[in-house]
Amino acid sequence: MAHATRLLLLLPALAIGGWPAYGQGSALALAAPGQQATPASLSLPLAGPRGIALESILQQLKAEHHAYFLYRSEIVKDKFVDLGTLKFRTWEEELTYVITLCGLRVEKTQHNVYLISLPRAPGGTSRQAPAGPAETALAGLAARPAAEQAAAPAAVTVQGQVTSPDQQGLPGVTIVVKGTTTGTTTDANGRFSLSLPDAGVAVLVISCIGFVTQEISLQGRTELTVTLQTDSKALDEVVVTGYTVQRKADLTGALSQIKQSDIASIPVTGVAQIMQGKAAGVAITAATGAPGEAIAVRIRGVGTINDNDPLYIIDGVPTKDGINQISPPDIESITILKDAASAAIYGARASNGVVIVTTKRGKAGKARLTLNAYTGLQTPANLIKMANTSQYVNAYNVAAQNDNRDQIPANVISSLPDVNWLKEVLRPAQQHSVQLDISGGNDNSQYIVSGSYLNQEGLIQNSSFDRYNLRTAVSSQLSKYVKIGTNANLSYAKTRQVGTSGDGFGAGNPGASIVRYALFRTPATPVYNDLGQFVDLPTLNGKPAAAFFGDGINPVALADAADRNFNTYALLGDAYLEVTPLDHLRLRSDYGVTFNIVDYKQFFKTFGIDRTFNSPPQLAQSSTKQFNYNWTNTLTYDLLLGKHTVNILLGSEAIKNDVQAISASRTGYANQSPAFQYLDAGNGISLNGGGQAHSALLSGFGRLSYDYNGKYLASANFRRDGSSQLSPGRRTADFYSGSLGWNIAQEEFMRPITAITLLKLRASVGQLGNSAIGNYPYASLISNGGFYPFGGISTQSQTIATTGNPNVRWEISTQSDVGLDVGLFRGALEITVDYFIKNTSDVLQFLPQPSSGGQVGTPAANAGKIRNQGLELELTYRHGAGSGSDWSYSVSGNLATLRNEVVSLGGAPPIVGGRIDNNYYATLTQVGHLIGSFYLLQTDGIFQNAQQIFTSAYQGPGIKPGDVKFKDLSGPDGTPDGVIDGRDRTFVGSPIPTLTGGLTGNVRYKSFDLNVFWQGVSGNKLYNQVNTDIEGFYRAFNLTERAATNYWTGEGSNNEFPRLSWTGAANNKQPSTRYLEDGAYLRLKNVQLGYTLSEHLRAPLRLSAVRVYVSAQNLLTFTRYTGLDPEQGTNSNSLGDGVRATGIDFGTYPSSRVFTVGLNAGF
Amino acid sequence: MKAKYFTLSLLAGLLLAATGCKNFLEQPVLGQYEAGQFFTSDANVVQAVNAAYVPLSFRDPASNVLWVLGDVASDDVVKGSNPGDQADFDNIQTFNITPINSAVEAQWKRDYDGVFRCNVVLDGLPATNPSISPAVRAQAVGQAKFLRAWYYLQLTTIYGDIPLRLKVETPEELQSPARPQAQIFAQIETDCQEAAAALPPSWSGADLGRATKGAALALLAKTYLYQQKWTLAAQTAQTVSTLGYTLLPGFADNFRAATKNNAEAIFSVQHTSGLSPGQGSGLNQWFAPRPQNGYGFYNPTRSLVRNYEASPAGVLDPRLDYTIGRKGRDFFGVPYDTAWSTTGYLSKKHLQPLSEIPAPIKGDGNLNFVALRYAEVLLIQAEALNESGQSAAARAPLNLVRQRARESYLNDKSLPGFGTVPAGLLPDITTADQGALRDIIRRERRSELATEFQRFFDLVRYGPAYATQALRDKPNFNYAKNKFFPIPQSERDTNKKLGI
Repeated sequence: MAHATRLLLLLPALAIGGWPAYGQGSALALAAPGQQATPASLSLPLAGPRGIALESILQQLKAEHHAYFLYRSEIVKDKFVDLGTLKFRTWEEELTYVITLCGLRVEKTQHNVYLISLPRAPGGTSRQAPAGPAETALAGLAARPAAEQAAAPAAVTVQGQVTSPDQQGLPGVTIVVKGTTTGTTTDANGRFSLSLPDAGVAVLVISCIGFVTQEISLQGRTELTVTLQTDSKALDEVVVTGYTVQRKADLTGALSQIKQSDIASIPVTGVAQIMQGKAAGVAITAATGAPGEAIAVRIRGVGTINDNDPLYIIDGVPTKDGINQISPPDIESITILKDAASAAIYGARASNGVVIVTTKRGKAGKARLTLNAYTGLQTPANLIKMANTSQYVNAYNVAAQNDNRDQIPANVISSLPDVNWLKEVLRPAQQHSVQLDISGGNDNSQYIVSGSYLNQEGLIQNSSFDRYNLRTAVSSQLSKYVKIGTNANLSYAKTRQVGTSGDGFGAGNPGASIVRYALFRTPATPVYNDLGQFVDLPTLNGKPAAAFFGDGINPVALADAADRNFNTYALLGDAYLEVTPLDHLRLRSDYGVTFNIVDYKQFFKTFGIDRTFNSPPQLAQSSTKQFNYNWTNTLTYDLLLGKHTVNILLGSEAIKNDVQAISASRTGYANQSPAFQYLDAGNGISLNGGGQAHSALLSGFGRLSYDYNGKYLASANFRRDGSSQLSPGRRTADFYSGSLGWNIAQEEFMRPITAITLLKLRASVGQLGNSAIGNYPYASLISNGGFYPFGGISTQSQTIATTGNPNVRWEISTQSDVGLDVGLFRGALEITVDYFIKNTSDVLQFLPQPSSGGQVGTPAANAGKIRNQGLELELTYRHGAGSGSDWSYSVSGNLATLRNEVVSLGGAPPIVGGRIDNNYYATLTQVGHLIGSFYLLQTDGIFQNAQQIFTSAYQGPGIKPGDVKFKDLSGPDGTPDGVIDGRDRTFVGSPIPTLTGGLTGNVRYKSFDLNVFWQGVSGNKLYNQVNTDIEGFYRAFNLTERAATNYWTGEGSNNEFPRLSWTGAANNKQPSTRYLEDGAYLRLKNVQLGYTLSEHLRAPLRLSAVRVYVSAQNLLTFTRYTGLDPEQGTNSNSLGDGVRATGIDFGTYPSSRVFTVGLNAGF
Repeated sequence: MKAKYFTLSLLAGLLLAATGCKNFLEQPVLGQYEAGQFFTSDANVVQAVNAAYVPLSFRDPASNVLWVLGDVASDDVVKGSNPGDQADFDNIQTFNITPINSAVEAQWKRDYDGVFRCNVVLDGLPATNPSISPAVRAQAVGQAKFLRAWYYLQLTTIYGDIPLRLKVETPEELQSPARPQAQIFAQIETDCQEAAAALPPSWSGADLGRATKGAALALLAKTYLYQQKWTLAAQTAQTVSTLGYTLLPGFADNFRAATKNNAEAIFSVQHTSGLSPGQGSGLNQWFAPRPQNGYGFYNPTRSLVRNYEASPAGVLDPRLDYTIGRKGRDFFGVPYDTAWSTTGYLSKKHLQPLSEIPAPIKGDGNLNFVALRYAEVLLIQAEALNESGQSAAARAPLNLVRQRARESYLNDKSLPGFGTVPAGLLPDITTADQGALRDIIRRERRSELATEFQRFFDLVRYGPAYATQALRDKPNFNYAKNKFFPIPQSERDTNKKLGI
């Protein structure tokens, strides 16, 4: 490369002012690779400046290579470099060299951003005492006490090799004698040779971009091998924020970062799961444990009763759902913008937080091939203990005796089967993933191409998730001023669903949970009959015996018949153009596209031998196409005025969204085999539908950041959003935010306290919007009012379907945040604490209108206020990382508290949610309480005798000793009235955890590494609805073992489980706190043990890096919850209720325990 | 130079974007009319009218629960099926009724939705709307008013005093008190009269099933009957009789798919199987026995069976076996099994043979629900005449109904002894004693109109003595408290001016 050679010899030796290091008189040869014999340039201690000013070198590099340097001007000022005849392979090598020579450090981050800083140790300006090995890293140094060990103070030659952690020679590594201008770089094999006056006292500074800089005290050695550690810290230093990249030190907002290293260690199937337990205040809850199941991401609580999903920005492309199409191994980093200062630049879409996802990019260098693969086995865990046949028959007969009904004849018990239905439906399942990428490039152009495949079978038959991804990212420097790049992610995902939650009530859900039916089904019913057919209705002696053994559905048959498929084809990509016409000015234009096709296909088979459950056979299909584009233009300008730095960001953004859908179905399939599951093959009723909707957002935004000397920071954001979703005339809204920061550690008075390397106080306040208000909320719409067969002919009708509100506007959340960042012990311990208050006002409410006004969609109104507040703590401790020691470990944890409160509903009545039975709702969203709080009768033990019944409130007819007693809390006039009814319900807890946290520990010993990740929540409740069926005992359903064996038998016998009686069940199974349980859990989400192969094992395979690992997910769970899985979100019954009904367990599809074996290899 | 070029083009692009702003945000509603732009063509008007019929349908018997409130609450029918299945319908049966009862909620919502859809039509068709042809307008208004009267008559007989909504109301206007039942009846009368004036005597072809003049008058007669406006009821029923309706020779033909929309049917809720989207009757599945892929709901009582008269020789009123499935009889081609029902009986008027609707499409029945038929008009006339003191005149319409029933023996070849009316079976009534005739008419009405979803409303109409006697097996029943069902909780919670 032409620019790699630089002849600066012609310049006279110039004194470098303010650079005391030059006071050291060790003037010696500057060696270049292969040129050791030419000690041409002299680094004499001269008084004046000599060489080229560092600043001008940086500017030249910047102009030529479009690099972006982040540094404080005072640290590069008055520094001069003399490069002699040194030749560099790459300009990055040159950069490293000049920076190191100046006693500074350089780290590369993404996007061609280079961070230049003073060395971590406050030193760097004076020569270190050579003796003390404590301060300088010694490990990784294979010291060979050569013959010259006791060298005289005559010039000696030190030789050696620098290798990467995988023991390959590293070319282009800068080696500088600390405090001098003496230095060299390594050759193609990583070898170097350097002449210096005194090997006894010299300290070598060894640096290379992408690796941790090491200082090695020679202590007389003349030959050494140095292993550099990969620098994972560099990424810590800058953060991808709204439309820009910022130095972490300059941040004044609250955000959490998840890095590649966190992502690599957990074999998860989706991107959202990566965030679970990794960031304070970010709660991730999968609806159930089923493959491909929806995952709720809640940043800083639940701010509205409507849409709470964050905005995702994937490589600059905004999307609400595109995150599911990204393969986790493709991700480089995730930044979660939590407060107004960070997120306000996204204006009307940011109130639920913003998640910025950056995918991997190619790096300059030779082509590199990486393989990540694992295979695993999922097994069900923590199964509920259900009654076996003899326990069931006993319980049944006790109830029959109590109720004067026929008993199951005792003589048949031995001939009955004994089936464990949970074990019949939940089977071990496999999981595989393989990802391969090739990346490389030169200084001007870089590329990455990656492909991956994921296959996750479900614990239940016919549920699975498959995803194929293909991704390319290319960027190229066209000229000095212009850079272009493109990035495209293609994916295909196939989800096969069975009923996972809910009881099947309501439209649009996948049907009742299979697990639910497995829990109901009595053990005395066989799975198959003698002919191998699924048994429907139980029989006894050849006669139907539904009264004894229930008439529920055979869950194995139901799973077997399930054929519900979602095929998602997605493209997410962008192309950008970046122009740097002037110093410090960057213009960028970004065109992003997301295109999604979701194809749904479900075949409803007719099955069963005793009866038909769904008939006639039907095929349903739909296809939804969604196309979005965004055109984003930004201008950034950095104004550097002495100690003042001002960064300006201006931008415009246009976003268009278009959704089209068609659907079709037919009945009548004589042949139900998959080969005939096509619409054309049906001969019965056919139906079709379709429509289109669109919306647009046009915005302008800006940010002004100010920084005084790295001490005082301030920033202000503005965004104006205009949306087609609001009624003409009220289409725009403005959003402002501001923040302040004070880097206390930079103050003079903090200098003596060397233990504190970072102490920063932050505060921010601002407003954000929630644009998820639907496409036409302002308009009353006429649409299909159903069909009516006049004259036997299907006739369409139309009527008003929804009523609009022309005054509707966005929900606004006003967020304030105070934070403190602390770094102790040279950054070994980092602590971040934030306290936030998030007030959402103008919450959109669809205020229930009198039903006498017709069944018409009610208009949205901006009523309602909701407050969330909480304290977040993130903490990381690292020990020995990058030191080359045999041992290193790190621990990082996070903890967040959350207090949610509905402050106002705008005068509307409380909102019910979570239908659990006809006209019974488990939750109530009411002013003064948490969103979706459980609102139930409170139990008060079991009536032990008739006296207690007589002296207690009236609960209805036929109450007997052994029945559940409820608390009389209220009445028509608000005081206890001696009658138990709906008025006695009360707020008994909430499904929203008040405390969430995660803890990750990493230990490395030589080639072994161990990762342990715990995650947990507490302070929440779960309503175990399915227990009303399997412990309420009102029909011939199976019971839990505890309810079947531990029931009330007489006064004093039991105060928890009532007597067994179907007539008593009407009282005893009433929705109440009897079924409300503590939802807290602590789960060992992942434990992984890895081994990195050493060079002599790898070399014959021509591999550059190999790591094998074994891992177990969900190995341990500590919880008091008695259901299958405490980790569950919204059930499929309550989808329409959203956050107003979570944590209701209808018999959930449980999370599996996964054991995996994996491989990471580089070629 | 290059940089400048790029910069310039970028700025030009931004400028372009800025000028395009206004249009960029114009993203109008697609595929749907905004309200206010809809009533612009005759075709749209017809579609809006069609929407007002949709809530009549028994496509989903869980949300159209007239069968629960009209019959399960009465002495004619019990809920059937499994205990605990649709537990709230059990609660109706036992009069353990709360405002959150799902049947109480469902019928309210359904009927008021019908009212709303009628109001959408009437609001969109002021006389000043120039886009609509007068004929279409008149017919649309007539149908909307008939249907509004229909829904309000159901509402007020079920719930008593209720809010009266005569236009599409704003959230503020929807806050309104219940109006006295008399005011509701007055509105129903007005709507029926205006509908009768606007509607044609009949429809044909693809309009078959729409409301007619006769339907409006029959509904008016029924409204007068419910108000005990005897003279008006009798006169109006008489007017209907002049419109050409006749009793079918075969009683059972009123409940056969092949003989839908016949000369006796004045107004029928239309169902047709095999359409897409489905527009068949769900009652065919709900009331059928489980082994035929039915749900086994709606089981007639022994009390109802015993209401049917027998000849001195013990030959039963043939309407019993047309109406009720029972032991030892044929049930649509298969032997009846008493295990199908909790009472031993199943209803037949809403069911079809498996040969017509096979088990897999059980829920897509082809039978209309005959909402108003000429036999009922005759019984209205008989009752109104008797109550107004014209007992002798009352016998004529009554005996027409009895005659048709007994003459089944002359028309139905499947009856044993076909060809001869068994001696003394359903003889003509001769008494002119008002009290005796009242009892006879009531018993006749129960037999003739059994399982047509109105027995409970008749019980309430007949007064506390009769109702309490009929419902003596239901200890929770209290006439004063239960003559109307409670206004549902959802309405109480949202309509603060309701006053309850």
